[in-house]
Amino acid sequence: MIPLLKRLGLNKYNVDQKPHIEVNTDICLTCKDKPCTVSCPAGTYEALPDGRIIAHYERCLECGGALVICPFGAIKFRFPEGGVSYNYG
Amino acid sequence: MSSFDADVIIVGGGLSGLSAGITAVKEGLNVILLERGEYSGAKNVSGGRMYIHALQKLIPDALERAPLERPITKETFEIYCGEKKKLVFSFEEKEKRNSYSVLRAKFDRWLASEAENLGLLISYSTLVLNAYRENDGITLETNRGTLRAPLIIDASGVTSIVFRSLGLRNFTPDKWMLGVKEIVKSDVNLKEDEGEVRTIVNLIQGVKGGGFVYTNKDTLSVGMAVTFDSLPKSEVPAKDLVEAFRERLGIQGEVLEYSAHAIPYFGFKNLPPIYDKNVIAVGDSAGFLINDGFTIRGMDLAIGSGMIAGLAAKKIVDLKDFTKTDIYYQMLKESFVLKHLELAYSRFSLINRPETLNVYPEVLCNVLSDMFTVGEERKTLIEDALLRLKEKGISLTQAIKDMISAVK
Repeated sequence: MIPLLKRLGLNKYNVDQKPHIEVNTDICLTCKDKPCTVSCPAGTYEALPDGRIIAHYERCLECGGALVICPFGAIKFRFPEGGVSYNYG
Repeated sequence: MSSFDADVIIVGGGLSGLSAGITAVKEGLNVILLERGEYSGAKNVSGGRMYIHALQKLIPDALERAPLERPITKETFEIYCGEKKKLVFSFEEKEKRNSYSVLRAKFDRWLASEAENLGLLISYSTLVLNAYRENDGITLETNRGTLRAPLIIDASGVTSIVFRSLGLRNFTPDKWMLGVKEIVKSDVNLKEDEGEVRTIVNLIQGVKGGGFVYTNKDTLSVGMAVTFDSLPKSEVPAKDLVEAFRERLGIQGEVLEYSAHAIPYFGFKNLPPIYDKNVIAVGDSAGFLINDGFTIRGMDLAIGSGMIAGLAAKKIVDLKDFTKTDIYYQMLKESFVLKHLELAYSRFSLINRPETLNVYPEVLCNVLSDMFTVGEERKTLIEDALLRLKEKGISLTQAIKDMISAVK
């Protein structure tokens, strides 16, 4: 299996300086299952030992899934100004 | 009218937006199209198969000029029943030129240049962040300032920025699929004018959906599409889904790109609002996707709905009444777009039931396994089928009912 970061590295990114994803991590503290950590194809959401979620927004593949994967509405997502550019698509 | 920047602003330069733009420009409207990518297709991903009837209406000589990959001449279905059993069947039609594999970064870029040649103004790297009503029109906030128009065509894809900003969308993870895909370099072992689509179900456990392998000119599109609400139950996380799938299929070769995109999966009876005062939704933004078990398609619906939106826009602008967007809906109802969506609904909802893609294939595999096994005991086909159905808790009535909805 090709590791995720190596696969993401195949793509062309123009990463925004400001994150385009914000997570209300106070909500994450009360979330046990953390579906965002297994539902994002770019592995953007990582659970920290304290239960909060860190969003690696620079990995984002802009699928849009962030709008539906958190049942508690903790993820605030908009598309980045730069972001990924696909060569094949 | 002078406070408006155009008659119509189209948000999104994919297939639906470009089709709307080409049609509206031909109708003589003053149109601006906003595309958030550096070029059309930069942000677009699709499985990669286009049924070309709508494209040929939009651009009659498209077949000679469009950057299509291969005509699809062979359909293969592979249904896995556990690791060790699978059911495979193929259908081949060598002269078939009804659908083609495509790569959207190439295709959409080409279509955008066609549109620009026809006089469509496209503003690239322009991201719409918000939309609201103001003085009988819509104001769009973008990264390059605000723009206003009395009519907006939302072609922004499944996330529908305009309708969503206006409070006209409420997304749930059961009505969206995640599409993940890799482009794999391959010596496609087929003649130049042949292409294959493989549709594969039940290879990865826990997810609701399936996988595909499409042959392009010198690459393969390998991917899966599964509902977001099934991802937490998947045996592999979303980030490894396509890799696990590719490995189990034994597909090797250099991986050139890894991409992902959400797919609308509403079905005819659950479509979101597709028109409102001053706004029209097209393509993915309108939730147009068909899965009837034979064809899985959104691109022809995107082109078709985009063209209708362009024609409707002309009528609405001529009437100078921007509340009359139901004109678009009436035209859609008369077109293949809504007719096909309605036709597909029976099988769409059957496929959508959890047992369809899990239990029935297993029953079928078990029956076949029994029929191909010889010992002293042997049942008739119908006895065996009933027994195998009963094992899975499915009554004959249920099976017959499902069979009938499968052929509707």
